[in-house]
Amino acid sequence: MNIVLLVARREIGVRGRTKGFRYGLLVTAVLVGVLASLPKLLGGPSEYAVGLSGPRAEQMAAALSQQVAQREDTAMRFERYPDEAAARKAVQDGTVEAAVVGDKVVSKSVVDDDLSVMLDTAHRVVTTEANLATAGLDPAKVQQAQQVAPLTPVMLNGTGEEAGVRLVMAMTLVVILFMLLMQICTWVAMGVVEEKGSRIVEILLTAVRPWQLLAGKTIGLGVLGLAQLLVIAVVGLGAAQITGAVPEMPAGTYGVVASAVLWFLLGYAFYAAMFAAIASTVSRQEELSGVLTPATMLLMASYLIGFFAARTPEATLTRVLSIVPPFSGMVMPVRSAVMTVPMWETALAMGLMVVAAAAVLALGGKVYQRAVLRTGARVRLRELFGTAA
Amino acid sequence: MLEVRRLRKKYGDKVALDDVSLSVAEGQMFGFVGANGAGKTTTMRIIMGVLSGDGGEVEWRGKPVDFETRRRFGYMPEERGLYAKMRVTEQITYFGQLSGMAPAAARGSADALIERLGLTERRDDDVENLSLGNQQRVQLAVALIHDPELLVLDEPFSGLDPIAVDALAGVLAERTAKGVPVVFSSHQLDLVERLCDSVGIIKAGTMIAGGTVEDLRARESRKRLRIVVSGAEPGWTDRLPGTVVTKSDRPDGTRRDEVVLTPADDQEALRVAAQAGRVEHFGWQEPSLAEIFREVVA
Repeated sequence: MNIVLLVARREIGVRGRTKGFRYGLLVTAVLVGVLASLPKLLGGPSEYAVGLSGPRAEQMAAALSQQVAQREDTAMRFERYPDEAAARKAVQDGTVEAAVVGDKVVSKSVVDDDLSVMLDTAHRVVTTEANLATAGLDPAKVQQAQQVAPLTPVMLNGTGEEAGVRLVMAMTLVVILFMLLMQICTWVAMGVVEEKGSRIVEILLTAVRPWQLLAGKTIGLGVLGLAQLLVIAVVGLGAAQITGAVPEMPAGTYGVVASAVLWFLLGYAFYAAMFAAIASTVSRQEELSGVLTPATMLLMASYLIGFFAARTPEATLTRVLSIVPPFSGMVMPVRSAVMTVPMWETALAMGLMVVAAAAVLALGGKVYQRAVLRTGARVRLRELFGTAA
Repeated sequence: MLEVRRLRKKYGDKVALDDVSLSVAEGQMFGFVGANGAGKTTTMRIIMGVLSGDGGEVEWRGKPVDFETRRRFGYMPEERGLYAKMRVTEQITYFGQLSGMAPAAARGSADALIERLGLTERRDDDVENLSLGNQQRVQLAVALIHDPELLVLDEPFSGLDPIAVDALAGVLAERTAKGVPVVFSSHQLDLVERLCDSVGIIKAGTMIAGGTVEDLRARESRKRLRIVVSGAEPGWTDRLPGTVVTKSDRPDGTRRDEVVLTPADDQEALRVAAQAGRVEHFGWQEPSLAEIFREVVA
């Protein structure tokens, strides 16, 4: 065990101190932080400045104030202008975002959606009021009739905002899982070929058993992958909360993150063993991408399925694939991020994945053990398990 | 005592080793020579367990060699293997720890070797930034770090400059002085002759000659007779029994002929020489290892 830790520590030390890893981690952290706060940063101002001019300026101000009062997070400031020219100048200067002059809205370009809706509504209210008054109705009664409470939303699957957040989380999760698995498993494969191709493995294997070498390498690089995953999770969730992009994390967010970590570990065990075994059959880095293609395709397929599963978590195919390994490694965490998955399905998926990972580890370990010292031409699997071997 | 008995190995239909045996006693340096592809590397890899043979045994101190025993051997493979992106000290220490040394002991041993092998200035450099000769010193340090009981070195001298060769030879001599047997292969036969207590010559997977350098010489030596005669009449060498290999005469005041021949009858040759003139030298010529090698491999 001591040897395994020693090998793992070398992997962490040597790979972790490369510029590629450090800057990669930094860039990822910044990127995730920015992405997580993006909704807020792009959300536009929730405080508007509106210019008013014309005979109904005061009525407009009152109608707009009433709408602002109904919204959270919104404030509005009014400026009065004596004529259209003054209002236009104020818009041009940027003093106000838009100015209502009689029947016109003046703005530099397209008006912000929210503001546009409020202005339209206010204009409609004020105009209707005026028209009805002109028609001889009692202004007080007209105003009373205009008081319409907005529709109260009743959402069967929780608030829309929460569902949206969950979907974004699931999508982000599948991208992160895919990228991390791809990156770390490729490192494992490259490490195996580095040792085999340079024949370091000949010296190593006089002191260390093949399984110790493989286990140490996988654990070491896995720790680096896990560290990245945690950095992404902490930075992402932290940034989203600090900037207020997501006012409240949906219930069970931390459970989703925890299950993502667990699934990452299982998926990693599965794919790392597979990548390592395949890598041990070649002696040169140039041959690596070719022989890895089937394994890469499998990972890619899981990724795409996981991606689509985020939108169709209830479909039968999604349900089945969220249980069948190795697809479950990516589909299940996505599904559980979007919806509440029955306990037994999660348990079954995990159990099957553990069995699959163990099988691939055992088989991959055997392939590695038999192939890693056979330098030169690519080793065929038939040769390794044939009667002659 | 390292005892290798009747090793056999086939690669497909090609026989790589056919009954190869050798033994190296404590404190002995064994030189393994042979043409490229003769089977030196295959033999060493089987000794180190990196390759499994099709038959035969490898014993160390009277017991079959297993994994735990091999951990106490030092090995330098034919194709050098080091981590390119690891620093010199770090790398040597790492291999020491893998062989079971405590961190501090491995570090101390690495420092001592680095100094002994003249790598002090490069100790914190990544291995990939070292010259090939320096990389080879690191490779040797990796083989020596854990104070091995036996050293198996495949072509340790190839690519080294004369000063590095002397340094390496010195380090190996220190180890044999402590009783550690050293097995190494080389194409530099003068070096093998100078350093080794015993030699094995392998050809096409078969050991065709072996023993101490003196044994080999003795076996090969009664083949060439060197005779120096002064004051003889020209043409006397035609009367010598056997085949004349080289012949020289000096055209100075007194005639002086030097002849090397493969004699049919050495006593008859002596009589012929004595009759012809004054015999200044008469003796078997000591062949160099290179000559023996060419002789037996041809």
